[in-house]
Amino acid sequence: MGLNARVATLPGHEVTVEEQQPFRVDDLLPSRVVRPADAQDAARGLRLCDLAPTAVVIWGGGTQMRLGAAPRRYEVALSTERMSRLLEYEPADLTCRVEAGMRLRDLQEALLAQGQRLPLEPPHPDRATVGGMLAANANGLGRARYGTVRDWVIGIAVAYPSGKLARAGGKVVKNVAGYDLMKLHIGALGTLGVIAEVNFKVQTRPQVEATLIAHLDTPAAAVDTGTALARQYLAPAAAVVLDQSALKDCGMTADWRWTLALKFEGYAREVEAARDKATSLIRAAGGRVEGDDVPSRFWHAARDWSAPDGDLVVVRAIVPLTAIHAIFGVLPEDSQVMAQPAAGLVDVRVPAAFAASILRRLRTAGGDQGQVIVAAAPAAVKKELDVWGPPPPGFPIMRALKQALDPNGILNPGRFVGGI
Amino acid sequence: MDAATRERLLGRLRAVVGDRYAFADPYEVRLYQYDASPETALPDVVVIPGTAAEVAQVVKICADAEVPITARSAASSLAGGTVPVQRGVVITFARMDRILEIDADNLRAVVEPGVVNLSLSQALRPHGYYYVPDPSSQGACTIGGNVGTNAGGPHTLLYGVTVNHVTGLELALASGELVQVGGRKAGSASGYDLTGLFVGSEGTMGIATKIWVKIQPLPPVQKTLMAVYPDVETASNAVSAIVRSGILPAAIEMMDKLSIQAIEAASHAGYPLDAGAVLLLEVDGIPELVEELGERMAKVCRESGASEVRVAKDEAERQALWKGRKGAFSAMGRLSPDFYVMDGVVPRTKLPETLAKIDAISARTGYKICNVFHAGDGNLHPLVLFDAFKPGQYEAVLRIGDEILKLCADAGGSVTGEHGIGLEKRENIRYIFSDDDLEVMDRIRHVFDPHGLMNPGKVFPGEVVEGSAPSRAPDHAPRRAANVAGGDEIWV
Repeated sequence: MGLNARVATLPGHEVTVEEQQPFRVDDLLPSRVVRPADAQDAARGLRLCDLAPTAVVIWGGGTQMRLGAAPRRYEVALSTERMSRLLEYEPADLTCRVEAGMRLRDLQEALLAQGQRLPLEPPHPDRATVGGMLAANANGLGRARYGTVRDWVIGIAVAYPSGKLARAGGKVVKNVAGYDLMKLHIGALGTLGVIAEVNFKVQTRPQVEATLIAHLDTPAAAVDTGTALARQYLAPAAAVVLDQSALKDCGMTADWRWTLALKFEGYAREVEAARDKATSLIRAAGGRVEGDDVPSRFWHAARDWSAPDGDLVVVRAIVPLTAIHAIFGVLPEDSQVMAQPAAGLVDVRVPAAFAASILRRLRTAGGDQGQVIVAAAPAAVKKELDVWGPPPPGFPIMRALKQALDPNGILNPGRFVGGI
Repeated sequence: MDAATRERLLGRLRAVVGDRYAFADPYEVRLYQYDASPETALPDVVVIPGTAAEVAQVVKICADAEVPITARSAASSLAGGTVPVQRGVVITFARMDRILEIDADNLRAVVEPGVVNLSLSQALRPHGYYYVPDPSSQGACTIGGNVGTNAGGPHTLLYGVTVNHVTGLELALASGELVQVGGRKAGSASGYDLTGLFVGSEGTMGIATKIWVKIQPLPPVQKTLMAVYPDVETASNAVSAIVRSGILPAAIEMMDKLSIQAIEAASHAGYPLDAGAVLLLEVDGIPELVEELGERMAKVCRESGASEVRVAKDEAERQALWKGRKGAFSAMGRLSPDFYVMDGVVPRTKLPETLAKIDAISARTGYKICNVFHAGDGNLHPLVLFDAFKPGQYEAVLRIGDEILKLCADAGGSVTGEHGIGLEKRENIRYIFSDDDLEVMDRIRHVFDPHGLMNPGKVFPGEVVEGSAPSRAPDHAPRRAANVAGGDEIWV
């Protein structure tokens, strides 16, 4: 088939140069944009792309597009922006079903009206979509307490390159029928299908919230306090270790170097007890409680810190709790860091020039039970970096899964682990 | 399998695990033909490997010989998940029952698949931790089996089911390779979440030989309440009222009139015999909070029609209330020689109408149906009472079960909440999944198991190979609840 004939079969419409720009991924631009109206429409569009075959990059709110390697090819941008409806919500069942293009903020507002919430807070909820949150496995600061995306998704509908729309899971909170394909698609970066609809379980909003800011002399003391809290009953809803510059990014200035910021949520009595316990642990670690007053944007800025707009490089280490010290041990003295000790997670903003060497050092320090990835980087820097690190054990199975579901390799080609 | 082939296979397997731990004697393998479901099928050979490496070698030998493999531990599956319907080799984990590591610093434990669920929590208790998922069979069922079915239990209402507590697996794949997926760390960005995909795949993707699980600090105090209702409808509406009130109980269990009578006859848990329904509720936390929540919950119960709310005064009373619930299935022997249990799920708000429909089925067919279930998450366990020795009853009960699952599916629910599809619900899975849905799942299965040797004949519809269907001849009649009445052998 000639190029013209092939292009004519593609879904969507050709885009002008101006229209292309918002869909840039690394240095690549699409020639067409398709905006499916619903899940079935997405499946039909994908089928046409597969017949061509032509490379598709899936777009939600675009907040995680700096994650992953640069695509090998990119012709069609598939945007879920028209798939943004809340399809079902039964507050008494604590469940809902939404289209993948729904923005997190819109979903949370609908839930809030019923006194409920989804305890997932990926960065930039005003732009981030449900589908993008799943695909990128984007989690917030509550992961140690509330779990991650995989713990709250109870059903999924996915459009495949075969043109089929297939479901897994369901609408009930407990269900073991059939394979758990929710887990497969969460964090798959859209390489196996287009997530079209998602069913969540949700929860009642906590009665009260409280914050506690403490300062500690060393990162080790801050981390130890954070992990000690996680090992006890009454763990905080969020525990974040910030260096001076990260603290400033969150709207606070301090004359000390390391901050431990804690958020407590729950029943009033519980929060009170948790705060008392945290206070005594902080003091025992030689730290000082600086107060419970933070700027209103503090927690939002902390949440968004790991997914900055612009050309910053963010490196992320995911390690067992006891390996966090080793990560801090190899960081340069003046590093910009935000860590979630209870989740074994350390985010570091690094200067582009040192990105490769810091990445290497962190990978050595993380050991074989840890993993270090580039969570965000501009295209030029990415080219010089191995963003995912070596493929994990079980990679042949992963490659075979990709082959089974996307045999022509049209979905986000090259962006995922091991070049998938 | 002809005798010569079996002898050859046995010889090769014995070379791996030793003579003692592989056997094919028809008398010895009979023990491995069943689980807690009514179905049976005889394996050709049974193997009891001692290490993960041995499991992998056994799988390789079977794969090379194209012999089906079924993994089995405690065999407490209520859905026929461990019945070797296509015969072949049964691998059992009686020797792989070690807790390899309690790593409290990282909030993990590492176990072999044959570790009994309850014994893990018992081992963790001195450290101040526990493993959350607590199937009612936890005194016998194993973590490996729990991984296979993504097992639940009463306390998964607040804290999640098995998959929410497993962070890594070592797998023996159909190719004979051993591969570690996930591990000790909490999150992952290392490719597809094969750990999450594997949990609940019922042995069709491979065999877990090592399991990394989350452990959680023990709650300082637990408070258990029993609320007595005139009927199941009022009790069901109370469940929604409790959830709406903003209280997050750790467990909400329901038992109907018939179940209460059976339980009281068997274990004297203290449930009132004249009650139409009983709710068992539990909250956990720090003492002052638990006290407050207990009072609030009692108030909601009374306001929603409870005639009596009793709070367990001490641990002994609490244990008695739970013993009644967890022994409910065994207690059915007091009412009927046999029972057939379903595992349907409906949205919580559909509980009253679903229970009314089940009641109508009972009235229409003349078969008594008990309900003992996880009300908080809408996970029903209707028990249809019958006598397998009366002609036609077993078949009639299977039809009733089918009808109940259909109505759960039609209510927006599922055909299994925690027992698995297994052998039993392979056709019922069509009530909730289309051919397209199943086709995608089947492709994934083929990635893990291209030759269809891993627990074949399970999960997917219409697959029993001709001549290998489980026998339902009279001498294979379902094992009788009466045989275990008052014992602890059957649970849910």
